[in-house]
Formats: sequence, C-alpha cells, structure tokens
Amino acid sequence: MHILRDPFTLALALGLPVMLVTFFGYAIDFEVKDIKIAVSDRDLGPAARRLKEIFSTSGYFSLVPQAAVSGPVEMLDSGRASAALFIEPDFSKKLKGGGKAEVQFVLDGSDNSKAAAVMGYLPGIQRAAMAKLAVQAAPEPFSAETRFLYNSELNSRWFTVPGLAAIIIGLLAILLTALTVAREWENGSMELLLSTPVRPLEIMAGKLAPYGILVLAGVFFVYLVSRLVFGVPFAGSHMLYLAACLLFITAALSQGLVISVITRQQQVAMQLGMITGLLPSMLLSGFIFPVESMPKFFQYLTMLLPPRWFMAAARGITLKGADLGELAVPFLALGLLSAGMLALALVKFKTDLEP
Amino acid sequence: MDSFSIKTDNLRKSFDKTTALDGVSFDFSAGLLHGLIGSDGAGKTTIMRLLAGLLKPSAGGINYCRDGKPAAFSELRPSLAYMPQQASLYPDLSIDEHLDFFRELYRLDAAVYARRSAELLEITRLEKFRRRRAGQLSGGMYKKLGLMCALLQSPSVLLLDEPTNGVDPISRREFWELLYALVADKILIIVSTAYMDEAERCARVHLLDSGRLLASGEPRAVLKETGAVNFEEIFIKKGARI
Repeated sequence: MHILRDPFTLALALGLPVMLVTFFGYAIDFEVKDIKIAVSDRDLGPAARRLKEIFSTSGYFSLVPQAAVSGPVEMLDSGRASAALFIEPDFSKKLKGGGKAEVQFVLDGSDNSKAAAVMGYLPGIQRAAMAKLAVQAAPEPFSAETRFLYNSELNSRWFTVPGLAAIIIGLLAILLTALTVAREWENGSMELLLSTPVRPLEIMAGKLAPYGILVLAGVFFVYLVSRLVFGVPFAGSHMLYLAACLLFITAALSQGLVISVITRQQQVAMQLGMITGLLPSMLLSGFIFPVESMPKFFQYLTMLLPPRWFMAAARGITLKGADLGELAVPFLALGLLSAGMLALALVKFKTDLEP
Repeated sequence: MDSFSIKTDNLRKSFDKTTALDGVSFDFSAGLLHGLIGSDGAGKTTIMRLLAGLLKPSAGGINYCRDGKPAAFSELRPSLAYMPQQASLYPDLSIDEHLDFFRELYRLDAAVYARRSAELLEITRLEKFRRRRAGQLSGGMYKKLGLMCALLQSPSVLLLDEPTNGVDPISRREFWELLYALVADKILIIVSTAYMDEAERCARVHLLDSGRLLASGEPRAVLKETGAVNFEEIFIKKGARI
C-alpha cells in the first residue's frame, strides 16, 4: 500500500530496469562498429583499391573521405578518425611481381576499448584481403604492421584515468548539489532564506560555490594520483584542461540545481541525480563504451550530454596533446550545454513557495 | 521607524483541489500584536506565507501601507522578518554562527550587529548557550533562537508562524514576555497559534476556521459580541471543529 502511494518510487522501480535494458541492449554494444579509418593511399593502383573495398565492406570500418590538406595523422589528432591505413607507393606493383608488399596501421591508442577491438578485427580482415589479393598462390602476399599512437603500450590506465574526472564531477557536482538544495527545501531553511532580502542569485551562488571548489579539489586529487602513482602522461595544456573542467562543472552544478529545485526532496533528488548524472557519465559518455559503436539514435542522444564532450576533450588534451583548434567542437558543445543548463537553473529557481 | 499596516481584501488561495483560504479580509493595524487563532488546517500558515510574499494569492489582494499611505511589498520587504512554523534553522550551526549568518543575510554593519546581538542574547537568556548547536537546543530555546534571527535586523513587521507550538508552558510564557517587550517598539507583530488561551494575550485577535474568518477585533470585544465565555466556545458555537 505504501509503495502505491509513492508514485515516484514505483515509477523508479518499474522504469529503471526498462531503462537499463534499453541502455545495455541498444546503446552499449561491446562489439565496436563503424570505426572511422583514414587511408593514405600512395599507390592508387587496383590492389590498393581492392584493399580499401575490403575494409569498407567489412562492416567494422568506414572510410573517412580524405581531406586534401590533412593527412591521416592529423585526422587522428583531431579525433575525426580513430585508425589510419598507410599503403606504400608500389603496393600494387609489388603484389603483382610477387614481392613483399607492406601496409601499416596506426591506431588511436587513447581509446583503449576501441583500439583493442580493432586489434581483434585486423587479422580476419587481413586474411580476407590476402585471399582476395593473392595473384599467384603466394602464401603471404603482403605484411601488415600495427602501431599505436598516443598510448603505444595500450595501457588501460592511461585511457581510464583522464576520463575518471568526468565521473567524479558527475557524481560530486550533480549529486551533492541536488542533495544540498533539496535539503534546504526539506528542512524548511529555504522558506526562511527566501523571506530575507537575499537575492535568489546569491542563494544559488552561495550554495554552488563550495561544491564547485570541492569538485575542483577532487579533480586535482585525481590528477595528482594519476600522474604520481600511475604515471599517466599529460601531453596537452593544463590551462585548457582546467577550462574544460570548469565548463563541465558549471553544467553539472546547474544540472544538480535544476534537479533539486524540481524535486525539493533529498531522496527523489538523489535518485534523479543518479539516473541523469552518474549513469550517463559512466555509460553514455564513451568512458567505457565508445560512442561511435552505439546506434545512431544514441549517438545523437549523447550529443546532449555534457560528459560526452568533456570525455572527448579530456582524452584529447591529456593523451594526444590536442589544442583548442582541434577540440573546437567538444569545447563549443560543452560551452553551449553549460550555458543552457545554467539558464534553465536560473529560470527554474523559485523565489516563492508555490508548488 | 516606519509603521506598517496590512489589509487583505477577500483573499483567496487554493492549491490543486483544496481551498486553503476562502475569501478572507483582515485588517492588521499598525503597531499592535495580532493573534491569528485557529486549529490545524485553518489556513494560518498560508496567510503567513502570502503576507511574506512567499505565495501568490489566487484571488483578492494584499494592501501594504506605510505610515498610512499605500506601499509596495518591495518597500516593506527589507524590514520584514518571518519565522516559519517548520524548524528551519541549521542543526549543525551554533547560536553564534546563526547570528553571524543572519548578519550577512541582512547585511548589518558590525557596530549595529554587536549591540543588537548582545541585547538579544540577554533578553532571551541564551548567552550561556552561544556555542551550542541548534540541533541540540531544547524546543523552547530553538524557538527563541529563531526569534533572535528574525529580530536581528530590527524589523518593522514581524510574522511568527506558531512560535509556541510544541513548547512547554513555562517556555511559552517566557516567549510571550519577549513579544510584549517588542510591542513597546511599536512594530506590527502577527502571531499565529492554535492555543486558544494565547488569544487573550493579543491586542487584536482574528479567529480563522477552514479558510474563513469567524470573528476579529479586540479579544474582550469579540467575546462580548458573541456572548461566549472563552474562545473555544466561539469555535464550537459557529459550528466549527477544533
């Protein structure tokens, strides 16, 4: 009986499993697909064309149209491709002549799960290619060499730790903020605060500032541990990383505030904070599962989630040393989403007790 | 100090399906201690919140007057103090920390604050407990702390929502003595209470039942008019539940 009188808990109990099944069933595909591969074809011969065809028809890779100005490495740098294929100039000729032709793969090691998946596909594709390209019955018409960029040893810590800041911000900023303001509502102090001449903006700033600082301290702590204990490299600009953190923190704090203003109850605020804060940071941001291998709908959905853009920016800065130009899209998206969330919080913040 | 008075005109307030106030017209004249008497659910808290600008009327209006001339709520707001019925202080802050926090909220300057807080600690006799946290205060002391926070800025209008609810008889009497001391300052005080015996302590009473005003005026006059011996009788006579 009690549970029937509490529609939110009921909705949560029934809705959460459905949501998780949807997430795990559709969005989170352990099989990595549609890996963007940039090709540097310096052969331009028929064999090279066949090789590219084999890649694009495999279902695992999609060829990125090559821009005239940027080479495959630049495309990896900016995240427009996560793998690159280099075909040497006389690939076709060597194959025809029965010589030892060579290709080289370069994989983006800053995304560990993706790189590992690609590693798994390559031998199969290589075998298929060899079977198709073998002119004579040469046992091994060409050899392939694989290298990893940014994280040459494919160290999973390097990959996980920079993204961890997103989880910490997601957890601390969203959840704690949602709780603190909901607590003010619950214990009645919001009623007292609103009756004083203090402006709503001041209440908001007063509530958010300590948590902003707390979260920033948390991020700094993660940074120290990851550098000193795990030896994770930091290739890019610290200032840029700080800017990304601040943008994401703003978005997360505002989100927490919106939650607490809507719910006004700690318990509900916590549940909503978990669902809209922690779960997307963990599952939909690319922290564990690459965004590219999610279905199209979820790929678009993740565009609305600040953690996705923060994750892209954080990995780009720490592992690739990318600059603002290369990370223009994540930064712009992060900025827009933070501004939007902050605006929503300001609009939603109530100055009265109307239900 | 400015003297404010508040009149409401056929004030209505409803939430979803329930009507909390069903057209009430009050006259809270300046410089007096007004008692808003009614049982639980009569609409006392709703009136307090409406007067404090925390709720908006569904219909009807609230007219604020300053020195007899109509004034906007924004003029009154800086000198309005409101003490909610619900425990609304921070349990983990001490008395001193509360006073300091409210000093910042009201932007009082240091000299005024020092004089005022010393004065309040003395009259509430909470001096000894300055370092005690609000969560560890007794019911009566907690209410006194709430009153201190409200009085820190020397308000012209004081709204107290059931300040003596759940407080023992002796602490209740002490609390009323504090209120009498304030009446001397000629500020407008509106106190809501469900204790009928407290009605006689007010200069004006307003009897409220199920969102309607039963009677209002000087306590003795109200009793005489209705021919009742005490205030309980009025509620019973008018067919209201207590």
